[in-house]
Amino acid sequence: MSVFDLQHGTVVLGGRRILEDVSVTVDEGEFVAILGANGSGKTTLVRTLVGLNPLAAGTLTVFGTPFDRFREWPRLGYVPQRLSVGGGVPATVGEVVASGRTGRMSRFRRFSRDDRAAVAHALEDVGLSDRAGDPVATLSGGQQQRVLIARALAGEPEVLVLDEPTAGVDADSQDTLAGALGHLSNNGGSVVLVAHELGPLAGLIRRAVVFSHGQVQSDGPPPEPEGHHAAPGHVHVHPHADEQPPSTFGLDR
Amino acid sequence: MTILAFDFMRRGLVAALLVGFAAPSIGTFLVQRRLSLTGDGIGHVAFTGVGLGVLLRTSPVLTAVVVSILGAVLIEVVRERAQASGDVALALLFYGGLAGGSILIKLAGGTNSALGGYLFGSLSSVSSGDLAVIVTLSLVVLATMMVFLRELFAVCQDEDVAHVSGLPVRFLNLLVAVGAAVTVTVAMRTVGLLLVSALMVVPVATVQLLSQSFRGTLYGACLLGAVMSVGGLVLSYYADVPPGGSIVVLSLTGFLVAAIAASLRKRVVR
Repeated sequence: MSVFDLQHGTVVLGGRRILEDVSVTVDEGEFVAILGANGSGKTTLVRTLVGLNPLAAGTLTVFGTPFDRFREWPRLGYVPQRLSVGGGVPATVGEVVASGRTGRMSRFRRFSRDDRAAVAHALEDVGLSDRAGDPVATLSGGQQQRVLIARALAGEPEVLVLDEPTAGVDADSQDTLAGALGHLSNNGGSVVLVAHELGPLAGLIRRAVVFSHGQVQSDGPPPEPEGHHAAPGHVHVHPHADEQPPSTFGLDR
Repeated sequence: MTILAFDFMRRGLVAALLVGFAAPSIGTFLVQRRLSLTGDGIGHVAFTGVGLGVLLRTSPVLTAVVVSILGAVLIEVVRERAQASGDVALALLFYGGLAGGSILIKLAGGTNSALGGYLFGSLSSVSSGDLAVIVTLSLVVLATMMVFLRELFAVCQDEDVAHVSGLPVRFLNLLVAVGAAVTVTVAMRTVGLLLVSALMVVPVATVQLLSQSFRGTLYGACLLGAVMSVGGLVLSYYADVPPGGSIVVLSLTGFLVAAIAASLRKRVVR
């Protein structure tokens, strides 16, 4: 069954057409990267898939249900593009991650042993178990990004949608992130992520949908940029077989 | 304790205690979303409600509750729809609310001293009927905040993520707005409409200087709000000043002490 099935989707934001007649299907268990230059519509696509942008035209089904009738929210996990966590009031890492359970819980139920276990598991997955009691504001940018991912993981979703999870994240955090996503994928979960650079994630990605000017430019196995064309933003495939290994996607072969 | 010898003082103290607890429970969510001035906006709008009540010769508290809830919902709709010009819309509401109230009260033949009582609080103004309304509404606000605590926290952390979690985001936002409106009118008698927002925000700002967690900030702010509210009322009785002023000055003093303590702690840690 497909996790997301967007057919002929058009999205208009602030009077501008951001996506034009886009069709993308993500099947269960897939690990898909959405690539493309800045402003190509990557973020708009993932926000549309999770229902944050209305469709001006086209149809969207999620887990086989038309989006208007979709109610099985705990099956979705979403990690927005954020530089930092929180607002005016301090919150601990544990509190933020635990809030990922809220959608699964009924209003009057107390935090159960299962909830606690899921939160502990999520913290472990992103390597922050020892920081649960610390205020999120004291963490580095990369660690805060890991907190956001742990919050989504705590909800035990079947599909995780991430918007630029690696942007501005240190190498250690990128490795941890790759480990956590690999874990989810190995357990049958699906992953859709927007990325500029794949870094340590490159080994996990089976399919890349490349966007350009609000439309799908290509859809298939991840491109393997080579030589100087491997600079960020370049996703054209230039199959010069003997050239040096790529650097953008960090595949050290 | 001569202070407890008067009926109006006893009523005032009970009202101050409950309002002191309830106001920061809403304030925490306003501060979290960087909407600290929302309470002020609602306070200004509530003033029109008071004017309407005086003009119609019904309970000003009742009309203030209705008008401020309408104002709060309007502010929330503006915030949701027009993010860029939201603060201008808020400003327009501020002015409109205050201007409307001043005209309506004057039309009704109200005096300047009655006006001052609503704006800055008045010790003797809490009637037993008022007290019943204040107790009921404060408890309703506190209970609602506790029931929806988890969901409100999630929404205040990240609205988009809350949407994707299936939480009723619009309802929860309106809940905070309506809760703020009710708190404003409940606190109107003791702190006054122009200073009520301080009781929502200052305890939160104070406690968060020293606290690490959201829950710690929330509960600490409610406790501090109650202490400052009751303490300020006692101070106002002995110093013969409007209670709104003494409550807020006391709260700000507390903030200053906490700020100094926090910076000293930082130095020690380093």
